[in-house]
Amino acid sequence: MDLFQLTTFNTDAADSRDGKDAAALREENRRLRKVCQALIERVETGSSADNAPYAAFERSVLLAEQVRERTDALHRTLDELSQVNARLQAAKAEAEAANLSKTKFLAAVSHDLLQPLNAARLFASALETHLLPDASQALVGHIGRSLKDVEGLIGTLVDISRLDAGVLHADKAPFAVNTLLDALAEEYHQVAGVRGLTLHYVPSSAVVESDLALLARVIRNFLSNAVRYTEQGRVLLGCRRRRDGLEIMVGDTGPGIPEQQREAIFLEFRRATQPNSAHSRGLGLGLAIVDRISTMLEQPVSLTSRPGVGALFSITVPYATAAIPTVSNLRTALPSDATEDLLNGENPLKEDPLSGCVIWVIDDDLAIIEGMQALLGSWGCRVRAAGTVSALEAASDGEQPAILLVDYHLGEHRETGIELASRLQRRYPGLSAIVITANHEAEIKRATREAGMHCLLKPLKPLRLRMLLTNAAGSIKT
Amino acid sequence: MSTYPIEQGVRTAASQHSDAQVAAAELAAALRHDNLGFVLFFCSAEYDLAALASALESQFSSVPLSGCTTAGEITPLGYDRGSIVAIGFDGRLFAIETALIDDLDHFDLANAQPLVDSLLEQCRRQAVAPINEHCFALTLLDGLSSREEQVLATLDAALGRIPSFGGSAGDDNHLSHTHVYTAGHFYTRAAVVVMINTRLPFEVFSTHHLIPLTHKLVVTEADREQRRVIELNGLPAAQVYAELVGSAPDELSAAIFARHPLAVRIGGQHYVRSIQRVNSDNSLSFYCAVENGIVLTAMQPTPLLDDLKTMLADVRSRLGAPSVIIGCDCFLRRMELEALGDVEQASQLLCQSSVVGFNTYGEQHHGMHVNQTFTGVAFGSLPVNDI
Repeated sequence: MDLFQLTTFNTDAADSRDGKDAAALREENRRLRKVCQALIERVETGSSADNAPYAAFERSVLLAEQVRERTDALHRTLDELSQVNARLQAAKAEAEAANLSKTKFLAAVSHDLLQPLNAARLFASALETHLLPDASQALVGHIGRSLKDVEGLIGTLVDISRLDAGVLHADKAPFAVNTLLDALAEEYHQVAGVRGLTLHYVPSSAVVESDLALLARVIRNFLSNAVRYTEQGRVLLGCRRRRDGLEIMVGDTGPGIPEQQREAIFLEFRRATQPNSAHSRGLGLGLAIVDRISTMLEQPVSLTSRPGVGALFSITVPYATAAIPTVSNLRTALPSDATEDLLNGENPLKEDPLSGCVIWVIDDDLAIIEGMQALLGSWGCRVRAAGTVSALEAASDGEQPAILLVDYHLGEHRETGIELASRLQRRYPGLSAIVITANHEAEIKRATREAGMHCLLKPLKPLRLRMLLTNAAGSIKT
Repeated sequence: MSTYPIEQGVRTAASQHSDAQVAAAELAAALRHDNLGFVLFFCSAEYDLAALASALESQFSSVPLSGCTTAGEITPLGYDRGSIVAIGFDGRLFAIETALIDDLDHFDLANAQPLVDSLLEQCRRQAVAPINEHCFALTLLDGLSSREEQVLATLDAALGRIPSFGGSAGDDNHLSHTHVYTAGHFYTRAAVVVMINTRLPFEVFSTHHLIPLTHKLVVTEADREQRRVIELNGLPAAQVYAELVGSAPDELSAAIFARHPLAVRIGGQHYVRSIQRVNSDNSLSFYCAVENGIVLTAMQPTPLLDDLKTMLADVRSRLGAPSVIIGCDCFLRRMELEALGDVEQASQLLCQSSVVGFNTYGEQHHGMHVNQTFTGVAFGSLPVNDI
């Protein structure tokens, strides 16, 4: 900084180095002192002269500067945050994609596994009706039960993955709670009896609104657990009318659940205590499924328990606000596990309406067709099974079908089972239709119900199929 | 009276008539409508101010007004003198409240905080827009009060995060009396704070076109009360400055001050400290606070119009076409434009960007009293789905 460049010095004149120079230097010295003094004063008092106008200005500038810096810092932080956010979004999208592909994979696997399993079950059931030596009969029984267990395990895994993936949707409708509980009581009465327990059932006349199949799954899981973990005593199934809904309860006189485990048992693969090994075929997913279904239905589950005395699980469902629809899907939605083996092979109905009943089966899977023919044939039905309607009609010699069993998915470019059934119903008035699907989505169930048809989920349970066929055949005859 | 499209939000008008009654009537005819909520005006100091005050009050009856005298006006058609320009704000888009600070010498934080709180509360009650991010303060100060720095610093502390800007009132270079106006009266040695709360997007800005040279001058003797620099570098101030700009001390004029500004450097930025006049004792009076020991840097102008164009384009890129820009334009900038013969071009630029405002004796930006800048607020338009 050339502070005094404006001061004129006659430096060119060589002869003026003496007196003039000395005077100029003295003057410069004076001014430098003055400048120094001013600067010292400024430095020493500058920041403390609070009331001075210039100090106020300087403070405002510095304050504005600080605000600017802080704003910049804020903007930088916001930028960083938005970048982190973007990365999180990407990670989330990736995770969702992975989850979706897992779900698709599981759905594909389950479909591919369940299909042959379904056929194997049908064959095993058909085989049981044959006259076999006692030893062979027992072996066939074992095969049937083992297949059923495999089916149950796969079903559970599929269910939990579907619940996790959010592809399962509730299909809520009003129904009388007894139609559900009566069936479950009957079923578990047998199971409890086998374990030396008493099932005490208190019926209720309440009408509730829920997804019947999902609610059945919840209560069945409660009952299975109660039976599984209770060594002696009794199991209670009943309801309590609450202001906010009907509380459906399952109690037992088992070991109870210690306080510290009451949350953990609703997690996957957890059990309270080591169960009796003879009855431990589950994966520890039962209550995890209950928890997810409860969340999905928005119908709360609660647990009270006194260790050593017993446990009481319950779910509270709202009372129905609408009337019960005319087409009842109760029987179809009630998969029966326990009574099946006990009854299968016997002849529970004296006048069997199935005898001679003409049943058409349309499925694009040859193994299913053969399995159905074997099973339905063993029940005395006249079975016509084929992959297409034309093949079926060609084989039927103009015979009028009474009941149609049709697969929902008939291949990529073909109509759905519902569409095909509607077509055939127009051609054969009075034809009763049962649509079979491995797809557990609520929409198909609803569509079937709305079309006035029945819906059965794969894998087919022979007894359930038989009950449904019996009902359908009976209603046709009367 | 009429209604008019709300999305415009503001209307502007000017009158060149020197008769206060006629001028006020012309403004009222152009601005009045059913939803007119507030009028801001800038008038030449040549008007009979008492007559103007009563004319405005009677013409606008119940509509509140604020304003100040100028060193030149910016009308919707560009630069003007001897006129009055006014902006009418729609009450549906603006909640505007004003306060008078009539004792500039004793304005401290204990006065400032209740003043700001009360303005905000009154705005809030009108429920036009949220206060946060939708508020700014416009300050109009007596430009010859020598109290700008303290008042602004105090007010800024009370305003906190609310942005502020403003201008010091002028008097057409007579340097005798500048006035601010609110609630029916003109005041000297006073300030008006206008709190503006609006649904329109806005941006407070400040720009200048000056860059530093290497020459430095140290203030070696100053009278801080009078804003007077007596000595620079140990010599009479006018003599040193005249030597710097290459002219004789008795030839120094506002035109030279405009072309050869001095600035202080704080925190890496230069802030121009404009010279007001040369005194008979060869001292220099400034438009802003000075202090013994401050270092002044000689500044040099770059093309003013280029800087103005860039600034207006920047604002346009962020806000869209402005619905109005209120500009506080230092009168020294106008002197420079006049000296360079660029007034016509500048007027066109200002007109195209809907700038109205006035030439100041100093500008205010975020609590700082600055000189030789163009400082103001630009309003965007209401988003269509918001109307």
